[in-house]
Order: sequence, then structure tokens, then C-alpha cells
Amino acid sequence: MLWLALKTLLHEKARLIITVFGVAFSTVLVLMQVGMYIGFMGNATNIVRHVDADIWVASKKIQCFDFVGPFPEERINRVRSHPEVLRAEKLILTMAMLKLPAGGVEQVQILGFNPASGVGAPWSMLEGGIDDVKGGRYMIMDKTSEQRFGSLNIGSIWELGEIRFKLVGLSNGIRNFINAPIVFISYDHAREFINDNQTSFIVAKVRDIERLDDTVKSLKSQMRNNDVYTRRDFIYKTVFYWTVQTGMGMGFFLTAVLGLAVGGAIVGQTIYTNTMEHLRELGTLKAMGAKNSDIYKMIFIQTGVSVIIGYAAGSLLLLMARQGMEEGGVNLYLGFWVFVPIFLIILSTCFIAAFFSIRKVRKLDPVMVFRG
Amino acid sequence: MVEAKNVSREYREGSISVLAVDSVCLSMKKGEVLLIMGPSGSGKTTLISMMGCILHPTGGEVVVDGRSVTALHEDALPDIRKRYFGFVFQSFNLFPSLTAAENVEAILRFKGWNKGDFSMQARHLLEKVRLEHRKDFYPRDLSGGEKQKVAFARALAGDPPVILADEPTANLDSKNATEVLSLLKGLAEGFGKAVAIVSHDPKAEAFAHRVVFMEDGRLSV
Repeated sequence: MLWLALKTLLHEKARLIITVFGVAFSTVLVLMQVGMYIGFMGNATNIVRHVDADIWVASKKIQCFDFVGPFPEERINRVRSHPEVLRAEKLILTMAMLKLPAGGVEQVQILGFNPASGVGAPWSMLEGGIDDVKGGRYMIMDKTSEQRFGSLNIGSIWELGEIRFKLVGLSNGIRNFINAPIVFISYDHAREFINDNQTSFIVAKVRDIERLDDTVKSLKSQMRNNDVYTRRDFIYKTVFYWTVQTGMGMGFFLTAVLGLAVGGAIVGQTIYTNTMEHLRELGTLKAMGAKNSDIYKMIFIQTGVSVIIGYAAGSLLLLMARQGMEEGGVNLYLGFWVFVPIFLIILSTCFIAAFFSIRKVRKLDPVMVFRG
Repeated sequence: MVEAKNVSREYREGSISVLAVDSVCLSMKKGEVLLIMGPSGSGKTTLISMMGCILHPTGGEVVVDGRSVTALHEDALPDIRKRYFGFVFQSFNLFPSLTAAENVEAILRFKGWNKGDFSMQARHLLEKVRLEHRKDFYPRDLSGGEKQKVAFARALAGDPPVILADEPTANLDSKNATEVLSLLKGLAEGFGKAVAIVSHDPKAEAFAHRVVFMEDGRLSV
């Protein structure tokens, strides 16, 4: 049946091209939506995922990582004094205006970290090192910011919130969700951007990860004016906020569903037309002893092959466009775990669409072939 | 080889019932061409469909190779058809996307033929119907007679002992019709096939060993 299915499918080249185009279109749309969504969520949780901490303490009723309120930094003592806490650090996350060399300003996100511990420091450096921010108004910017700020030369001076900082390092590919370039500076100098004795986060490492939930529970009871999360919960909270609370996830989801619907409709329609046009021949096969399952196999093979070719074409197209999209600021995640499930989803959708053909074949009475 | 024992087929639509075939007894034998003639609507095709295990009789029994198939579940019939029958139809029903040889090959593959190469066997069958020189042509490039010959070669694929031909000359000119009928006779006499032809064509009588007439669902010899 494989042989016959392929022969019939490949003979109708125009129809095959339309089917492949439909699947490729669907693939691009779905992969792009899912890739962009995962890319955005990756950006949104970038810092939380990379900071070496098991526990995040934030201001009360925080919505997500990016929208944090200040709270007294002395509360770090409560965290440090907890017997299960190995170490704790403070991080400052705030926004400031960066004056551009050519005039004008851009909003940036400042992350103040302790260069001595390295907790909260950029994790991927192109030039310079995290220690370089020690002892002065030094900053590390991300290479991707060049798109907005122009050339980032080590040693250049930038005005951040009317305070002059020297660029000492370049990180590589560190982005956030809010699309404001990240600037890493030392915690001490980040203090200049928020009220005295305030901080944004306390991050802690626990002694025994097995007892993490108990530790968080215990800290919550001691720090009623703060929110306390495990790293995993904080990531979920941030993802949930951007996905559900802002409605953004629904937008991605609907576009992906639309892509699936378009692909499914095109494949279903062409496979159905193909079946209808070969009804007499399929009836002849049934008369000569083919079972319904034999002909179903043929339809599924044709659907499967169309999906494989279309999916490969769509994926290739997207991979080729990826570089350009990333240069344009869109972080597209296209990993193995995106390609495989989406292939299965598109394949299933097209198989469902082929059901109309299956139904037609099931009802096909081989007696019809005797009619002239 | 195939025997219809008192078979009937009744069609019902609402309160109206039509008896397309009424208590017919008929047998097909190896090496014999049986011609079933009769006017349109007399039940010839219904009878041949039942004898070919495509249609279940509503009464009576069909016996194939000594085994009653009437009581078998519908799911078991495809295997019987696959093993025992080759069909030739009035409108050929060839796959337009396959060449003449591939149309034959498709049935060989589907029947699980494993005696050597499919292409060789398909070519051999086309040789039998004297169409080997057109093996690589698509149906659209073949004449009606040639298409019917391909259909014959296809019916012979897998070497079934019974060939059922429904109006095989209906779409052919006189010369091709004669050639096709002579082919059918050759299959019976030369290869011991049991051949049944349903036809209006009076020319067919000259090629049959036995002729039966149907009228209003009944047989009149």
C-alpha cells in the first residue's frame, strides 16, 4: 500500500504542492508562535533561571520578576539567620534612563549584584569579567543592546540616570521580557537608583534542597510582609503572569490554533479530493479483496508523507529566517522539544482532517464499481 | 468452482421492496465461459456481485471452492475475493496515476505476490493480453480496448481461479470487443479459469460455452 499511496500522491504534483504549501504554512505559523512564546518566556525568566539561588524573597504581592517593589534590605538578616539557609544575597532590580551618545534616552533595566559573590552577575560574558564592576561606577551591558545603542566600546562612558558609568564588559544574549536592555552594575552603585536601605530581592541558597519547601514555608511565616518563593514557583508565577494575566498567551495560542486549522483544512481538503477522484479505483481495490484498513493505510500514508514534506519545508524556512528574526530582536526558541511535539500535533490534526476521506471509504460499496 | 444455490437479493427502501434476484441457481466451472445475458435491470450485475462475494444474498447460498460463504461475516469476504476472484469492469477503473504495468503491479503487491519481481510478473501478464509494448503508457494514452486489456491483466494478477467480467465489451468497438471476448475464452480454455461474462452483446454468445438469460431477477435457460 505504501507503494500505491506514494505513486498516487506523487503523480498529482500540483495537488501535492498545494498540500505541502498548506502544511508548510501551518508549520511556520505554529512553530513561530510556539518558538516566540518559549523565547519570550525564556527571556522573562532568564535571570531567575540563571541566578544561583533556591529561594527568592520579593516585595508583597509581586506580579512577576520584572515588576518588583522595594523593601527594607535589613530583612536579609532574617533570611541569613534561618538555620536552613546556606547563604543569602541582595539584588536590586530597577529601571533608569540611559543617555545615548547621539542624543535621546532609552529606558534600561538595572540589575545590581554583589560582584564578590557573583550571585546575579551576567552568566555569559563576551568581553571583560564580572569582577570589573567592583570599586567604581562600572557597568556591563549586553551585546544585543548594540542594535539600539549603537557600538558598545569597552571603556566608553555612559550616563545612566544622570550618573556617569564606564562600560567595562559585554555580556552575550542576556535579554528580559520587557525589552529594556539590561545593565549590570555593582549592588552598591545600584543603591543610587532606589531609596536608601531598600532592596528588590533577597536570594538564598539552602543547605538541604530536599527540605526546600519546608524552608520556604518557614520563611513565609517569618516574613509576612514579603513574598517568598522557590525558584521554580517564581518562574511559574512570572510565566503565569505574562501568559494568562496579560492575555498574551491566549494571543499566541489562538494564532497557533489558526495555523493548525489552516494546515488541517488544506490537507483534509486535498486528501478528500484525492480520495473522491479515485473512488472507483479504490472501489476496485475493495472488490479485489482490499479491506477498509488497507485503504485507510493508503490515506494515512499520503497524509503522513504530505505532512513530513510540508513540515520539513516549513521548519527549514523558519530556521533560515531565524537569524534575521533574532537580529530584529525576536528571540525564537527552536529546540528539539519544540520540533517533535509540534510535528506530532500537526500530524494528528491532518490525520483528523483525513477522517472525512476515511468515512467516505468506509461507506464505499464495492458494488459501485459494476456501474458503468 | 462457484455455485449460487437458490440465491435471492431483495432491496428495501421504506415500505417498497424490490427483488433484484429471485431464487437463482447457477454454477461456474473451471475451463468454462459462462455468459449471463438479459435486459438492463434484469439482475445480472446483482447476481455476479453475489457470486463474486461482493454482495451478500438475502436468501440462498453462495459456495466458493466447496465452501459456503453466505454465513461468513462481511469482514471475511475480502480475503475470499482476494484469493479466488479477478474482476473486469465496464469502465475499466484503472488508476490514472499508474502506467499499464503499474496498474497490474498494484494488484500483485496488494495480493502479496512474492513470486519474483513484480515488474517482471506484470510484464508477463501484459504479454498474455498482448499489450506488453504499451506497458509504460498511462491509461489516458491507451485506447478503450487497450485499457480493457490492462484490466484483464490486472484481473489475472495473483492467478485467481475465477474471472468475473461485467459488460467487458460495452465501451469497445467491434474489433476490440471481439479481441477481448476471445481473450476471455482463451483464459478459460488455456488456463482453466472459470469465467463469467455479463453482457448485452450478442457477439459474446459465440465465445461462451454456456449461455443463461435473466429476466426480472429470474433465470431462463
